[in-house]
Amino acid sequence: MRLVLAGFGVVGQSFARLLMAQEKELAATYGLVPQVVGIMDSSGWLTDEHGIDLKKALRAKAETGGVASKAGGKEVPRRPTDVIRDLEAEVLIEATPTNFKTGEPGFSHMKAAFESKKHVVTCNKGPLAIAYYALHELARHNGVQLRFSGAVGGGTPVLDFGKTCSMGDKLTGIRGILNGTCNYILTKMEGEGLPFDDALDGAKKAGYAEADPSLDIDGYDSAVKLVITANHLLLSKAGIKDVKVKGIRGMSAKEVQKAKKDGKAVRLIASASRETGLTVAPTLIERDHPLCINGANNAVEFECEYSGPKVIIGKGAGGPETASSLLRDLLEIRGRINGPAEAIASYRMSGVGGG
Amino acid sequence: MKFGGSSVASAERIKNVADRVKGNGKGHQVVVVCSAMGDVTDELLALCADASKGMEKPVEERLASIRETHLAALTATVSDKAVRRQVLGMLNVTLSQLEKLARGSTVLGELTPRSKDAILACGERLSNPIVMGALIERGMDAVYMTGGEAGIMTDDRFGDATPLMEVTKFQVKEKLAPLLAEGKTPVVTGYIGATQRGDITTLGRGGSDFTGTTIAAAIDADEVWIWSDVDGLMTADPRIVPDARVLREISYEEAGEMAVFGAKALHPRTLEPVAEKGIPVRFRNTFKPEDPGSLVKKNPRLYAKNVVKAVALVKEVAVITVAGASMVGKPGSAARIFEVMGRIGINVLMISQSVSESNISMVVARSSMEKGANALELALLGQGGYRHILTEDDVSAIAIVGGAMRTTMGVASTAFGAISAKRINIKMIASGSSNQNLSLIVAEKDAKDTVRAIHSAFKLDKLNSR
Repeated sequence: MRLVLAGFGVVGQSFARLLMAQEKELAATYGLVPQVVGIMDSSGWLTDEHGIDLKKALRAKAETGGVASKAGGKEVPRRPTDVIRDLEAEVLIEATPTNFKTGEPGFSHMKAAFESKKHVVTCNKGPLAIAYYALHELARHNGVQLRFSGAVGGGTPVLDFGKTCSMGDKLTGIRGILNGTCNYILTKMEGEGLPFDDALDGAKKAGYAEADPSLDIDGYDSAVKLVITANHLLLSKAGIKDVKVKGIRGMSAKEVQKAKKDGKAVRLIASASRETGLTVAPTLIERDHPLCINGANNAVEFECEYSGPKVIIGKGAGGPETASSLLRDLLEIRGRINGPAEAIASYRMSGVGGG
Repeated sequence: MKFGGSSVASAERIKNVADRVKGNGKGHQVVVVCSAMGDVTDELLALCADASKGMEKPVEERLASIRETHLAALTATVSDKAVRRQVLGMLNVTLSQLEKLARGSTVLGELTPRSKDAILACGERLSNPIVMGALIERGMDAVYMTGGEAGIMTDDRFGDATPLMEVTKFQVKEKLAPLLAEGKTPVVTGYIGATQRGDITTLGRGGSDFTGTTIAAAIDADEVWIWSDVDGLMTADPRIVPDARVLREISYEEAGEMAVFGAKALHPRTLEPVAEKGIPVRFRNTFKPEDPGSLVKKNPRLYAKNVVKAVALVKEVAVITVAGASMVGKPGSAARIFEVMGRIGINVLMISQSVSESNISMVVARSSMEKGANALELALLGQGGYRHILTEDDVSAIAIVGGAMRTTMGVASTAFGAISAKRINIKMIASGSSNQNLSLIVAEKDAKDTVRAIHSAFKLDKLNSR
């Protein structure tokens, strides 16, 4: 299956490594022989219709910071949307930096992919939060699939789990911790008695927070994930503006310690229900509640009318984790093209025999 | 604000449109949507027909006339030289594309649906820049764009395209909201969209109104104003019922029913995008800027006591009846009949079958009666249960429209009482399960009297007089 990879940052590179590491497993178990025919990053395009040597591409990226210059393919000085449209491939993996305001360039990339009848797998939150229904309509119009399990929960299949929970049941509410960075900071404040700023510095040093952490600590990252989750599972027609957002910036250490003394904890909880709408806010929860997790993790609880509450917990971000979501989505698409693969060793060989 | 073809039919009228936008739009952020000038769309349709037959001379004549019409309108509408030059530039681009398309098709003697849409779209692409010019001359910061440029993306059904609503709403909002925030007035061609590849499509009949309501839904407008040369939606056609009244308030469902039964001002799907969001639509007369017109909205209160809101006459219909005693109790009889009608592309307006099942009557457009009856005859007669096929072409359909009609006692008896008092016989009755409509068939000669009788029986002539 031929893939176009837009975005070659942490997630994109992790995805390339995962493809290499899992090569035999993918072919044998799923009948998937991925061939990356185009990679785009800020430096431009690297394309090769016979399949890019991912090792070379990764090396070029490491050495020069860009994939376009020195990896053996040819440079394409054209608009990304044109390249995506014209490249012959089955799937676009969209992993460019996200934009919560316009959804670009992700939205245009996906639109170009759909128009040329390519499936899309993405972990790009901005376009999904802003244009959830538009993107789905485009996919349907062109008879292709849009999958995005990596957009919420990183490698933890929060959306798929929620979907399964809701089948034949009625999902009445969703609440959870959708941002690992905030949870890391709150855990540090709680465990080590640190003031907010010190805990934030610690998160930066540990690689959990960006140099500009505002999207995380002001609650917007959680809000965007909540919008995607609510649209996907509750069919709400929400946008980011519909979420009441309060972040954890400047969280008082006293408050955190008081909660601890009372057998509770402060967590940044994102919540969606038909009664209360969409909210993100620091919330007191019982210490022994399953949602009350520590460290850079995510936990989401799905409240079902007939089958009760269920919680999923796992790492919420990170390159290899999110890349595993992309691959999972890709395998779903592969399975639907030809029915789920039988577990037999089937290889596509090149340079062997006549074929 | 949306303006129909008659509202932009001449330079004088275009100036009037600009005055309405500036005057009535004061204090509001406005998006303007206009149709093609007057009968330009008909002219373009004729041009298409000529071109597809390879008739060079009439094609050239029509092209010249279209060019002439718009250049003259521009000169008479816009006096500022710089503005006129700006608009002229836009017109020339469209005119030269139109000429290339028309001549190309003429040479081939062939016109694909896609080229036809590109030609038909030129009407709106020529009228709207002139409107933009008139607005700029009045000191407004107007910007012209086609529906496709505004973000209206459709499927690939040229000639009768349907917008991909979610994509369209997203794109239109992204495009227009910032312009409105900057104080600009977008002037958008009605009737036109574009496929995902950017090819121009047209939205079919009533397309410009649809453009207006679609844009309104996208930008979450407070109201849609559809301007034309009539006062609004009426209780009946004033040519039949002289004391017909303008309906000041009416629900989306009622308006939708009226549209199906030929209310001139409205196409059935026009209200779909706005009904969902509850955005009110006001139908107004371009020449009566103070008149509020008709307001279509959610839960109208004004005529709470009137169950029946309007009576419409659908002319040029015919009844086809398939009869045969052995159809009784035979599953599939009706399916076969309508399968035949569907296969030959005849739209069935009304259906009636009594519990005895010995005959099924259907109402079709009169122009397709013979074709339908013939097809039924070939497909059904001489086989099993079907005995004969009867046609009646001297009939008219009458639709009584109003909210909650089926669940309100006495509506039918009032109507039937009024009709029988005039000694008129009702030939066929159907009550839509929509609860908004009761349809009757009467002899054509009795049709107008029936409409008048129903209109006064429900005291529609007394509307607004309290």
